[in-house]
Amino acid sequence: MNILKSVIYKREATVSFFLIGIFILVGIVNPDFLTLTSIDLISQNSILYIFLATGMTFVLLTGNIDVSVGGILGLCGAIIATLVRDGANPIFSLLLVLLLGSLFGLINGLGVAIAGIPSIIMTLGTLGILRGMIVVYTGGKWVENLPDYFKNPSSQMLFDALNVYMLITLLIIIPLQIYISKSKRGRYFSAVGDNYNGAVLVGIPVKKITILSFVLSGLFAALAGSVYASQIGFIMNSTGVGIEMIAIASCVLGGVSLSGGIGSVAGASLGAVIMTTITSALVYLKVDASWNNAISGMLLITIVVSDVLIHRYTAERAKKIRLAAHVENMEIGQ
Amino acid sequence: MKEIIPLLSIQNIYKSFASNPVLSGVNIRLNRGEVVAVIGGNGAGKSTLMKILMGIYKADSGTIFINGSEVSLMNPSHSLDLGIYLVPQEPMLFPNMTVEENIIIGMNQSKAELKRELKIIIKKMGWEVSLIRKADTLSIAEQQLVEILRGLLRKARILIFDEPTSALTFREVNLLFQIIEDLKHQGIGIFYITHRLKEVFEIATEVYVLKDGIITSSGKIDNFTEELLIKGLISDEDDKVSELSAEKGEHPVFVNDKEITEDVRIEKILEINRFTGYGFRDINLTVNTGQILGLAGVVGSGRTELAEAIFGLNRTISGEVLLYGEDITGLRTSEIIKRGINYLPEDRHLNGIFGESSVKINLNASTLFIDSKFIINGKKESEISSRYIQKFSIKVMDEDQKISSLSGGNQQKVVIGKVLSTSPQLIILDEPTRGIDAGARSDVYRIIEQLKNDGRAILLISSDFEEILILSDRIEVMHGGTNVRSFTREEISMDQLTEAAFGLVG
Repeated sequence: MNILKSVIYKREATVSFFLIGIFILVGIVNPDFLTLTSIDLISQNSILYIFLATGMTFVLLTGNIDVSVGGILGLCGAIIATLVRDGANPIFSLLLVLLLGSLFGLINGLGVAIAGIPSIIMTLGTLGILRGMIVVYTGGKWVENLPDYFKNPSSQMLFDALNVYMLITLLIIIPLQIYISKSKRGRYFSAVGDNYNGAVLVGIPVKKITILSFVLSGLFAALAGSVYASQIGFIMNSTGVGIEMIAIASCVLGGVSLSGGIGSVAGASLGAVIMTTITSALVYLKVDASWNNAISGMLLITIVVSDVLIHRYTAERAKKIRLAAHVENMEIGQ
Repeated sequence: MKEIIPLLSIQNIYKSFASNPVLSGVNIRLNRGEVVAVIGGNGAGKSTLMKILMGIYKADSGTIFINGSEVSLMNPSHSLDLGIYLVPQEPMLFPNMTVEENIIIGMNQSKAELKRELKIIIKKMGWEVSLIRKADTLSIAEQQLVEILRGLLRKARILIFDEPTSALTFREVNLLFQIIEDLKHQGIGIFYITHRLKEVFEIATEVYVLKDGIITSSGKIDNFTEELLIKGLISDEDDKVSELSAEKGEHPVFVNDKEITEDVRIEKILEINRFTGYGFRDINLTVNTGQILGLAGVVGSGRTELAEAIFGLNRTISGEVLLYGEDITGLRTSEIIKRGINYLPEDRHLNGIFGESSVKINLNASTLFIDSKFIINGKKESEISSRYIQKFSIKVMDEDQKISSLSGGNQQKVVIGKVLSTSPQLIILDEPTRGIDAGARSDVYRIIEQLKNDGRAILLISSDFEEILILSDRIEVMHGGTNVRSFTREEISMDQLTEAAFGLVG
């Protein structure tokens, strides 16, 4: 009973139920939604957001925010695309952009942790710089004509059901989830966001952890950029515009607190899957595509608000019961 | 040649902030199994000294020896490695983590090993601790216990307690003293920072009095009396305070009868009938103008819940609250303020101050919707703030200073000023002297007396029974959510009050 209770109270569980709910409901309206093709498409499309949300989770846990990920995604995507187009080794190119993404993250982290600039301002600034750099780097032109070997893996399937990229994603996400929830160091991220001064007092290297969170966010944004280039096959100037909002929304959906201290990689990834599922479901429900953003936004608010309301209700109920117990227990003593 | 090497020796420490000297050559020694009390008023440099020990600040000059070898304390984790642990005044736990996670976080050994060691420590000390509870469900006393366990698991040889009892109830204080006694026998050296002189005599083995960055007197506790400590503590201009505190130690009731002026009419202002809500039930009481009604009781007896319900913050179940005979039960808080009640909340940091704002903005926060139409009346705001800064002698550089940069006592005076700025006829004061030093405490007492003499009605909530005894004209004792007994000033004694509050009424 207790195990069941604790599972239900876990945000990851609520989110999973919600995801299953979407599948069932949309599946009733349009059974095509439940086919392997559709599910595979959703899983492919969500990879990008899973990576972004994963990186973002670390930053949010420390009580900060990173809105520059769209810029890092765009620039790193453009760089890896031009490199492989011009015949560079893809592995080498990937390592290079990952390094570059980490470097941008490092700059963000140094600005926030050392210079003390509020994270939203710092990353908004780097976002502007990165957006400008994309245009300068590409000369305003699309990067296309990528070689097939670079685009192919994104459609490669294992056992006819598991996309190669999805497998790689799982191989990255699962250890990270264990790291962040079970390991000693992983808990440092939420500790910094939970109680900064308290973290200082127990000897947690708060500045290093903050910087590391931004580095991870940059790294994952670069990885997402590479996935984007491989999956879509071209990069535009506007690639990644507004994507940071989807990443943040995925995290919030998955139970990562914007004020820091609560959340997990698994939750954020589930949130990313839901965001993609909603977009995809709208197609199957034959809703005009121009409504996509508005509906996603409304659903996001609905989910988060209802979650908050449920938690507030249970918390207040518990408080009332506790207070009432106070009165009664004491009476027995008299 | 058989001099014992002290556990910790601080020699000639100097520290100043922007040419403002805070510590001017401090020397302290701490031996194994000693409890060294460090007492001093606001701004005496106690916290700065302890922060230097924790590696949060760096001393300008001076040396620190641990077990006879010189160390330079660079950062908190370095101090922790050297076996120094600070139990802060307000526990610094991670609210979203379990007790166990809170204790072992930041340590390098393997988790399993730490868990085993932790269990051994808990067993050895004989404490009852649930390791799986989330930290935000713990009482402040329990949080402190977690902090102590953190220190012990880190093999701390030097524990620093910063005002540990300021948020504890009577029973919890006794428990803490027992724990400190246990720690003493384990050979741990303890710094005990406090402003409660009684505790110094109860728990300390040595005492250092710190004033304006200098140790004014120190030595074995047996060589001291309360008067001697106070002499070391209080500056000469503050003779009045010294009298007051000295008297307070001996005779709880220091208010002269002549202070109760005759021309203040005593009439009923607030009447509460069979008032029931979450955490309290069947409350009947009245508050009169020109009087202080003390509401005594231990933490958890429902006093704060009652106050919040009167003030319209919590929903109520049944019963009525009458102000001047008019029913105000369940009105909105803004309406209740307009009708002449204001409330000083228990938790200053959580509910009292706007930490990022200036003293002026804080002082005027309550009157915003009363005095200003659309544009804030800046001149009037300045008037109000300078009036309260003068009246309560709040120590600030100017009215635009950020409130969180003030000491606890001065912050509290600002909050009291804010509460008074709406000119309430009834003032509910919830733990008005929690976590502030002796000097500020007597200032607050004086303010409360003044309010009473002005003919205002005061509902004083406090866990400090001495405070209740000193100030109140009548006393209601709450226990288990209801007021179990009432006393007038003449018939009350400390024993009876304590008995009633702990539910031992006949």
